[in-house]
Amino acid sequence: MNGSEGGTRLHPLERHMDAAAYVVSVKVNRAGSHAAAVLGDGAAWLIDLTDSSAAPAVVHAHDGACLALARDIDGNGFLTGGDDGKLRRIAPGQAAETLAEVKGRWIEHVDCCPRSRLRAYSAGRQVHLLDLSGHGSAPALDHPSTVGSLAFAPNGKRLAVAHYGGASLWWTGRPGPPSRLDWKGSHLGVLWHPDGTHLMTTLQESGLHGWRLRDKADMQMSGYATKVRSMGWTNRSRYLATGGAESVVCWPFFGGGPWQKQPLQLAGTAGGLITVVAPHPKEPVIAAGHDDGRLLIAPTDGTAPVAIAAPDGSPISALAWSDDGRHLLAGTEAGRLSWFPIPAGR
Amino acid sequence: MSAIPVTVLTGYLGAGKTTLLNRILSEPHGKRFAVIVNEFGEIGIDNDLVVGADQEVFEMNNGCICCTVRGDLIRIIGGLLKRKDAFDGILIETTGLADPAPVAQTFFVDPDVSKRTRMDGIVTVADARHLAQRLDDSHEAQEQIAFADVILLNKIDLVDEAGIVVLEHRIRSMNPFARIRRTERCSVALDEVIGLGAFDLDRVLAMEPGFLGEDDHEHDQSVTSVSLQEDRALDPAAFDQWFRTLIQVQGVDLLRYKGILSFKGSDRRTVVQGVHMLADSGNLSVWPAGLPRTSRFVLIGRNLDGGALRAGFAACVAP
Ligand SMILES: [Zn+2]
Ligand SMILES: [Zn+2]
Repeated sequence: MNGSEGGTRLHPLERHMDAAAYVVSVKVNRAGSHAAAVLGDGAAWLIDLTDSSAAPAVVHAHDGACLALARDIDGNGFLTGGDDGKLRRIAPGQAAETLAEVKGRWIEHVDCCPRSRLRAYSAGRQVHLLDLSGHGSAPALDHPSTVGSLAFAPNGKRLAVAHYGGASLWWTGRPGPPSRLDWKGSHLGVLWHPDGTHLMTTLQESGLHGWRLRDKADMQMSGYATKVRSMGWTNRSRYLATGGAESVVCWPFFGGGPWQKQPLQLAGTAGGLITVVAPHPKEPVIAAGHDDGRLLIAPTDGTAPVAIAAPDGSPISALAWSDDGRHLLAGTEAGRLSWFPIPAGR
Repeated sequence: MSAIPVTVLTGYLGAGKTTLLNRILSEPHGKRFAVIVNEFGEIGIDNDLVVGADQEVFEMNNGCICCTVRGDLIRIIGGLLKRKDAFDGILIETTGLADPAPVAQTFFVDPDVSKRTRMDGIVTVADARHLAQRLDDSHEAQEQIAFADVILLNKIDLVDEAGIVVLEHRIRSMNPFARIRRTERCSVALDEVIGLGAFDLDRVLAMEPGFLGEDDHEHDQSVTSVSLQEDRALDPAAFDQWFRTLIQVQGVDLLRYKGILSFKGSDRRTVVQGVHMLADSGNLSVWPAGLPRTSRFVLIGRNLDGGALRAGFAACVAP
């Protein structure tokens, strides 16, 4: 399962694994010790980032497909959601445990917040909150349509939920109706600005929407070739990097932007599409996954990108950096799973 | 990666849709289906790939009332496609009262769904005893007939032959594309309902030429079909202009349409098909040598003005 026999290796330290199933999501835990990749066949692969000779531990997470992955509140573990209706916790060296189950539904979105020590997951139109002990801490939160995505604010005080017609902002510490951010269309993804000042969503019909929360000023970003499925903040939150176009489209959030500003366009290939983006947490570079499996590292200063994985025909479906930026993990729809350790001092 | 075929089952409650679904799932055809149902519990077969739908019809941003998609299907199909090689086809059961258009349009509109799946056909199960009444009082029943590629006229054992003939004639006047099959308890060979390729452009070529001119008397019903025919080659720009205007202005009324067209300067057959305002077209095989290059265009919809459509189509003839 390990080794780098097949294909061209463009990155000297790449560790290549063949997971043989759709890589739905990949994350590195908060401690930075392990990565988890969750797959379309229900398995979760745990990769020990401190031991490059260890084989990944394969955990049976769900009967069916894994649909969601989040880093749990602690440094070690992860939460997964699946189409078997289960919310599970997996952690290196521990048995997987089921934290919640919603019969007959899928658990499609999961997030956790170390600040508020809460976990949230969605099943259909409802979002459920769980505390650290695994107890439901509030009645379920209802939405006007199936939940498109959810995310805790960086300070943990609010939970944003995207759905048809906009987003709902709930207070996590007290009950009460949410405040609504309205915008026509089906909102599928949601991302907070690291300062908690803006909320961004991706839309079914090609593009992004955003709100500056202070005054609910709207932002519309359109012109994408397809649905935007991935977005992330570059270091120091200067740019919002997005997929869904031939190149990585980066909207400036400084100097009065993004209003009336042209985005940067990086790492493009003619006729290709960027499927997933992952900005480096500390350096001004972005990992950009393409729909042909190519993986590029693009500096935001516009200098030439470096290819670290060659095209193999299967779209990159998941990308994640460790918080210290020393490890990059990538997965494809066909099940190629790659770990790129970044040498110190680069 | 080949596109996964999707079959949509429509029909009023009690017509026999669930019987057909169970039949497709239980017969020994060696295929595995993922099933998107509107209610759990009605499927009698163990299948871990049964998913409940939420019937979420979303308007598109153009503000048009006919431009709708099923948001839940986009989500569910996206989830199902993460299971590699787990199934060979997808069956979607709609509720008895559903208009099939948002389901069909989902396969035109969503980039992920349209890349990874293909609409294979819409199968409507109708209760022969009640269909006439339903068509008189229900928009949705009319749409289910108008959109169908195959219509199972079910429970024929409970209706006399004369009644069936009248029904078939009425169905034919609304939808000249559909294959009509008389059934008892939905007993039909499976290859009559799955593997149709009804939305494939090259299957549009298989439209039987016999449907023209069969029916020249008025029917007192709101969904009708208009068949257009032209032996002279059409001007591509003129047709494009006429057709775009037509779907802009009357897209809400146009339920389905299919056409095989001969354009001046092209030896290939151009095929057009669509649902409301969403159309798909392509150039297919060359016209057979020695045979007339007859353009045919059939529209199914409401408030269709046959005279105006004929005149508009005729005006597309190349000078
Ligand atoms: Zn419309
Ligand atoms: Zn007649």
